Order: sequence, then C-alpha cells, then structure tokens
Amino acid sequence: MKLPLNWLNNFVKHGLTAEKLAERLTMAGHEVKAIDDVPRGTQAAGDRVYEIEITPNRPDCLNIVGLAREVSAIVNKPFKAGKAKALKISKTACDITIDDKAACSRYIGAVVENVSIGESSEDVKERLQAVGLRPINNVVDITNYCLFESGQPMHAFDYDKLAGGKIIVRKARVGEKIVTLDGVERVLNPNILIIADEKRPVAIAGIMGGQATEVTAKTKRILLECAAFDPILIRRAGRSLGLTSDSAYRFERGVDVTNLERSAKQALAMIVELAGGTITHYRDANFNKKVALRNFEIDVEQISKFLGTKLTAVQVKKILTSLEFKLKAKGKRFIVTVPSFRNDIKAAVDISEEIARIIGYDRMPLSLPQVKPSAIMTSENFQIKRKLRQILIGQGLDEVISYPLVSRNAIDKSKLSESSLTRIKNPLSLDQEFMRPSLLPSILAVVSLNFNRGQKNLRLFELGKTYSPDGEKEVLGIILSGAAVASPDWRASKKEIVDFYDLKGVLNCVFRNLGFKQFDVLPAKADIFSAGQAAEVIVNKNVIGRFGKIDKEVTKNWDLKSDDIYFAQIELGQFSLKQAEEKFFVHLPEFPAMTRDVSLAVGKDATFSRIATAVWEVGGPYLSAVHFREQYTGEKIADGQKGIVFSLVYQSPERTLTEAEISPVHEKILQKLTQDLKATIR
Amino acid sequence: MRWDFEKLTAEAGQEIAACSDLKTLEALRVKFLGRKGLLTEIYASLPTLSAEEKPLVGKGANELRNKVTQLLEEKKNILESSSSSGPAHSIDVSLPGVAPLVGHAHILSQIVEEICGAFEHLGFVVQDGPEIETEFNNFTALNIPADHPSRDSFDTFYLETPDPDQKGRNLLLRSQTSPVQIRLMKQFKPPFAVIVPGKVYRPDAVDASHSFVFHQIEGLLVDEDIKFSDLKGLLTAFCQRLFGDKTRMRFRPHYFPFTEPSAEVDISCYICDGKGCSVCGKKGWLEIMGCGMVNPKVFEAVGYPKGKYTGLAFGMGVERMAMLKYGINDIRIFSENDVRFLKQF
Repeated sequence: MKLPLNWLNNFVKHGLTAEKLAERLTMAGHEVKAIDDVPRGTQAAGDRVYEIEITPNRPDCLNIVGLAREVSAIVNKPFKAGKAKALKISKTACDITIDDKAACSRYIGAVVENVSIGESSEDVKERLQAVGLRPINNVVDITNYCLFESGQPMHAFDYDKLAGGKIIVRKARVGEKIVTLDGVERVLNPNILIIADEKRPVAIAGIMGGQATEVTAKTKRILLECAAFDPILIRRAGRSLGLTSDSAYRFERGVDVTNLERSAKQALAMIVELAGGTITHYRDANFNKKVALRNFEIDVEQISKFLGTKLTAVQVKKILTSLEFKLKAKGKRFIVTVPSFRNDIKAAVDISEEIARIIGYDRMPLSLPQVKPSAIMTSENFQIKRKLRQILIGQGLDEVISYPLVSRNAIDKSKLSESSLTRIKNPLSLDQEFMRPSLLPSILAVVSLNFNRGQKNLRLFELGKTYSPDGEKEVLGIILSGAAVASPDWRASKKEIVDFYDLKGVLNCVFRNLGFKQFDVLPAKADIFSAGQAAEVIVNKNVIGRFGKIDKEVTKNWDLKSDDIYFAQIELGQFSLKQAEEKFFVHLPEFPAMTRDVSLAVGKDATFSRIATAVWEVGGPYLSAVHFREQYTGEKIADGQKGIVFSLVYQSPERTLTEAEISPVHEKILQKLTQDLKATIR
Repeated sequence: MRWDFEKLTAEAGQEIAACSDLKTLEALRVKFLGRKGLLTEIYASLPTLSAEEKPLVGKGANELRNKVTQLLEEKKNILESSSSSGPAHSIDVSLPGVAPLVGHAHILSQIVEEICGAFEHLGFVVQDGPEIETEFNNFTALNIPADHPSRDSFDTFYLETPDPDQKGRNLLLRSQTSPVQIRLMKQFKPPFAVIVPGKVYRPDAVDASHSFVFHQIEGLLVDEDIKFSDLKGLLTAFCQRLFGDKTRMRFRPHYFPFTEPSAEVDISCYICDGKGCSVCGKKGWLEIMGCGMVNPKVFEAVGYPKGKYTGLAFGMGVERMAMLKYGINDIRIFSENDVRFLKQF
C-alpha cells in the first residue's frame, strides 16, 4: 500500500518527520518498507510516499483514511474526517437484480446524466500518481481516488452501453466471455461472479470492468457501482483467471459493508462537482441494515497480567477509544464494542493485542519465563540422529540434505519402479511429482552433480525420510565412491578405490556405536544392487536395511562414469537410545595372549562366517578372538578353492597360558575345519 | 723444551673448535689422545728427559691432556645434540601434514543443532513430527479458516492419499512445523517447552530465495501463567546467545492466525550495525522470526480447558538463519550438496 504523506496530512496532523512516523507505524504493525521521494519536476515533488506492508487481517488500513485513523491513535493526535458534501439524490431507482444474494451483500447503483468526461484536475492527478496510478479521465479517476482515500472499490459503467439499462449480479454461464479493461479476452466459468446487463457480462465482479461498457470521452451517462462482494469468490475468480487489481485486492480481504453509502455519496459528490451532471437514479440493493457489531467483555487486570505489564483503566479506555472502539464500564470491567471496519477483532484476546500494539511492543517489559520440566523428553529419533551424525562425521563422511521430491524418471532410472509411490496431487513440475520411496534417487542426483563438477571421491550420508502411501520412515543413507581415502596424498592411501568392505566397515562402526550386540549380514538380492555384491542387515529377525554396490544399469542410467559406487540404506526404527547407552566395563587382560595363525585352503563357497562359527564351536574357554587376515587365490591354490588366513587369540584372565594347554584346543579346531569344511591346512 | 704446551693447547683448541662432525672429532681424539697420538708420544718421551725437564713436561702434558679431553667432550656433546636435527636426518617441515579423514555435518544441521542447543539450555526439549499431515493439524486447529488462501493448492502440496479422518479431503505436506504443536498438545498436558525442527513444503518455484522444501524450527512453551513479557525476554536471551550480546532487537506487531498478540522479530543488521546497507535493504534491521502468544482458539482446538493455559510460540527459517549468518545469497546451494560447499563448514 502506498501512502503519500501530503494526502495523510489532510486527516491527521501528526507533527513528526517522515522517518519518525515511519518508525512509529512500523512498530504498530504497519511496516514501512520504503520511503520514496516524489521526483522533482513532477507535480507532487517534495511529497514523500511510504510503501507499507499491510497484514492480511487489516484491510481497513488499505486506504488513506484507515491509516490516518491508526496514525491518530499511535501519535495521540486527533483524526479529522472529511466533511460530507451536500448532495441531491434522486428517488428513482436503477434496475438492479441480484441473483446470488450471498455473493453480493450490498449493491448501490447510481446514474449520473450529462457528465462531461475530460481530464481530472491537477490535484487529483497528482495524488493518483503519488499512489502509482495513471490518470485516465475524471470519472474513472474519481473512483480510484475514493478507493485509495476510503478503501471502497467502485466502478463506473457507460450507462448507455448497458443493454436494457440493467445491472444483474450473477454467476457466469459456461462459455461466456468478456474483454476486460486491459484488452484481454477472458473465458468465464460458473464459479465466477459477474455483473451483466440484459445480454452479456459487463464486468468481472470486484475485479475488473469490461471494455465494451468503459467510460470514454463520448460517455454522457454513467452508472456508478459501489458494492460488497464475497471475498472468497473474488479470490478464487482472480486466481482462476490469473487476474488481480486494486479492487480485487481489497474485496479479497473484505470491505466494510456499512461504509458503502458514505463512499458512494462521496464519489457522486465529486463526480457532480468535477464532471458535472445530475443524479437521476439511485438504489441501495440487498442491504441488511441490522449488521450486528461485536461486543467483548474485558478485564484490565487480566490483560495486564497476560501482557506482563501494569495497565490502568484510563489508559486502556483512551487507547481503545482512539481506535474507535466504544467502551462501557461494567463494574471493574468494560464492555467493548468493535467498530464495523475491524473485522479482525474476533475475540477478547485480539483487544489485548490492540492495547499492546498502540503502547508499542518495544515499551513492554521483558521477563524470563519459569520453564518447568516438561512432561515430554527430547524425541528419541532426534537423539539417535544426533548420535549417528557424530559417528559418521568421525568416519570422514559428509552430510547431505537432498530433495525428498523426485521425478518419475529419477525413480525409473534408479530401478525403483516397483515401489508403491506417493504422488503429489498438485506438483509444481514433473521434477517433483513423487515423494521418494528410497533415498537412492535423491542421493544419486547429488552424486551426479558432484561428478559433473569433478568431485569423484564421495563419502556421503543423509539422515532423511522415505515415503510410501503407508507413511514416512526415518532412514540413514550412505554413499561411498572413488578413492578409498578421500585425500589424494599417497602417504595415506594404500587401497585405490572403495569397495564393499569399506561400506560394511562404516556400517559396523555405526551398529557397534549404537549398541547392537547382535546383527547379521546376509547376502541379498535387489534390483538396485549388482548381483552378488549386496547384503541385508538383520536385527531381531527383521531386515532393517540393505547395502552393496550400485547396479551397473543404474549408474549407466544416471550417466555416472563410475561402476564403483556403494550405497546403504538403513531404517532407524529399530534403533533405541537405551541400547546405544548400554555399555559394560570389561577388565583389561592382565596376562599375555597367545596368538596362533591359521592358513587354510577351502572351497570357494565356505564363507568366513561359516569358518568362524566352526572355530568358536570348539574353541573352548580360552579362545578370545578370531581375526581375519587375508583371503587370496592364485597358482598355489587349487581351482574352486581359496586361501584364507586368520589368527586365533587365546587368553585367560587368571594366568599365562602354556603351550601344553593351548595345543590340544588348537588341534581340535584344525580338525573341525578339516572335517566340516573340507579345509586343507597350509 | 721440545714442546711448547701453550701453543699445542691453542692449536688443539682451534682444531676442535673448527670440527663440525663426529667423524672428524674422533680423528682429532685419535690424533691427540690415541694410542699413537701426540700425548702418548709425549709421555713416551718422558724417560729420555733430564731431571729438570721431566716434571715440567709431565705437568704440561697432563694439563694438555685434561684440556683436550675436556674440549673433545664438550664438542662431542654439541655435535651429538645437533646431529638428530642435522642435515642427514632433517625433513621438510613445510610439507603438508597427512590429515585424518574428518566429515562435516550439513550446515543446516549445524544451525539446527545450534538453535536447538540454545533452547535446550533454556529448559526446552526437542521434538519432531511427520511431514505428511492432515488439514486439521496443519490448518484448522491452528485457527486458519476453511477458506484461507494458504490452503489453496497454490500454497500447499496435497497428496493423492486420502485423509483417513476427513472424508473427501487428502493428506498434505505440512507447510509449517506448527502441526507438531497440535500433535503434542493433543497428547500431553502442560507444562511443556518444546523446540521442533523439520522440513516444510510449499509450492514455490525454485530460485535464489525460494525452494519448495525448506527447514523450520518451531518453539512452544505452555503453562498456566506464561506472559507476553516472557516471550520478549526468552527470545531476547536466545538472539543474544546466537548473534552476540550487542545485538539489538525489536518486536514488531504482525499477524499470524495461531498467535495473538503476534510479532515479527528483527535484529540489528550484523553488517552495518543498524545504519542501513544492501544486506538489510537499507533498513538496518533483519527479520529473523515470527512469534506470539498462542491464540486461545488453538487451545480450544486441542481440547484444553478454556482459559486455563497461556503459551508462547515462535518459528524461524533455518535456511534464512544460515544465509544471514554466513552471508550466503542463494538458497539453492544448500540442496545442491556440492562437497566443496559441505566441507567449508
């Protein structure tokens, strides 16, 4: 909303500089976003214009008078309303039919004959320019002038162009069209309220008039419309047509229906004064005069307590009266009557805000609340994510936060087409049509962006959600690609690129730190992973996630020039804080351990986990660890076999073990491996 | 006398002083003190000397031996202590260190952590809630009228999934974190003080300052006697903690359907200190959050007894906080996740 100070000064003598007043308005809830100087050389040079942001609950401030009223209350100076001019109003009614009475709660129509259309006077033009409007002709300018001064949108038709001299307020019919004042032909629909004459639409109600009935230099008779339309209808119509206007902006927020007559008469008086003519018809249609004003009972002491300040009854009365509320004492309380233009005051608490606002929030005291212990704890999910973030950062992974909305194409490219998807009904674009069923498509987009920018060594994680029609799940996603060690420094790296076991290592660390004593990793199959290089993680008999090498087809679909990208996704639902915090102390060994290496040749299908299980079965009380060392194939190993090396650690908490004690156990283990796994000891 | 001890002592002193490595020093030791060295030669000659010469030469030789032994010892100490850093063992200390791998939390997570942490110190607990919400929790219970523009499909993403609680309506992606307030209040009785971070969605086309998904942090404190002055005091304490003690603040009246009175909080611009610059749009102030006293209609919607409780609530945008704090001017950089950006924080 533009507010020229010269115009404002007509209604209130505030006695402040533009800057000071801007600050006071801002601090009373009408933020002055900018103060513009009207440039030299234009008629209003020297005037200054505020650009004010009016909150949507205060349509009464979308005009000069409304803001003057606020200024008057804020700076405590009287508000001078303009004087209504004497006006001769005809008793002859104009022909107004309101089909949709709920949509149009009042319609004042007046016909003025023998108007002379021409340019507006300089002072009118000056003011319109100051609020950013282009002067058109005296009659149109008057409607705009009144709109800005008192907030009531009005429209003037060329009365002679209204077929049958009729005004009909109705919904548009299918297929009806209108060329609006901006020269655009608009196709209407039955949700749009229009003004029609006998034959056709002549205006889109509350939004814009039609070109065919526009007031031009040749116009002799005009019909002035001053009406109130349903805010929701106006907003929906504007949106469906992609059309807005100063009028629509005000109707959408609501106009004061009781103010219509005064507005109409002000405009008519100006028309008669500036364009001549006589009022031949006048009608105030569909007005329910019994608009009940809202009343609330307030208690000054209670408001003081709520605001944390000390208010007096005199102070409260003065503030509210300055805002045109009416107060009636009722014992120690007041009955407050809300003025008709304050549709935003809907409860007693709204009155507290008025008082605080006019005193100024900045003048209200500060206190620190007594924050009592809550009935709730910090959410476990948040704490687990906090912990996970630390663990993963500690392993050199960078956290990403990717888009949860993805395209159908991204889902297909990631071979996730089989997932049950959650679709957005009103997506902004096809790029964001679905909620991701897995982190994979979102995170591959991140991988792709980084690859394209030359960043190929990625160690990433995301703590995000996946979505399905059944709801949303918290998950951890991990991506490893490129150099096994992110530093290019040869001193730090032995292995060149990451593999499955790097990812498994990260996961092991995560699970260990979160207190999972028991979790299994079993081979798995999934479209997104390369066959034979995928596993699932099982906790308490539930699969809580999968990891592995991303399938070649997926990397090809995403145009990622690397086959070695590893991905894990683990659900956080099974993680518990209690488990993560459960730790036990184990005495440090006082006596030395004895380590024996074992080198085997076994069938290729003998997994390390099978070997270890067999070892533990016969390991006896002193076997304390089985460490994998190496796995290999080569010339010395028969076809279909692999070599495997591991160490067995024997230790007792009570004494140093002797060869004689360990040898029989060790022999037993080797025997077991030879028998059960057909292993050859090397 | 065959030997000029004064001269010999001086010469030995010079040679030892000039010596710069242990090998040469050893050669000098052999030369003076060795089995075939100078002093052995002198002592060997003693029996051939006259009775007058003998004591003089003996004394001179002893003094020379003591002196040379002392000098050799001193020099050896010097050379040994410098040998470990001497040229043969020295390394180029200017080569870069071999850094262990360290990861980085996303800057938005860091901001969330910082803000939540600040409120945890003030006695709040962190809570979260679902992103897929009902119209009731996201709008109705928050006193947003049925016909309010923010409910339009222009301003809120709706899912194809029907709302199980409301016939004919669909679930939506929450457009604010405030529905978590409703969930908590429906479940728990005051007092409580919660801080709620999370993702929110709005159908805004992506540009430098808009995104269809962003992060918010919401705070809610409900008890029997929470006052408007508490809201001011609490948020002032928070802002000074986050932005520094010298930060000035102002509470500007504003409008939110779910709070009354409502305010926007501005802090003095950290670039120009309130004088007005391009960052603050010449205003000297930066808008950082919205807040207010919980509207009694919200308490009514969650079924709290009328008039029993009062509360304060506030909300802020995490991306905006990060942009202000680090002078980032394009919101898209947060979701790109370029690792070079991630590693800056």
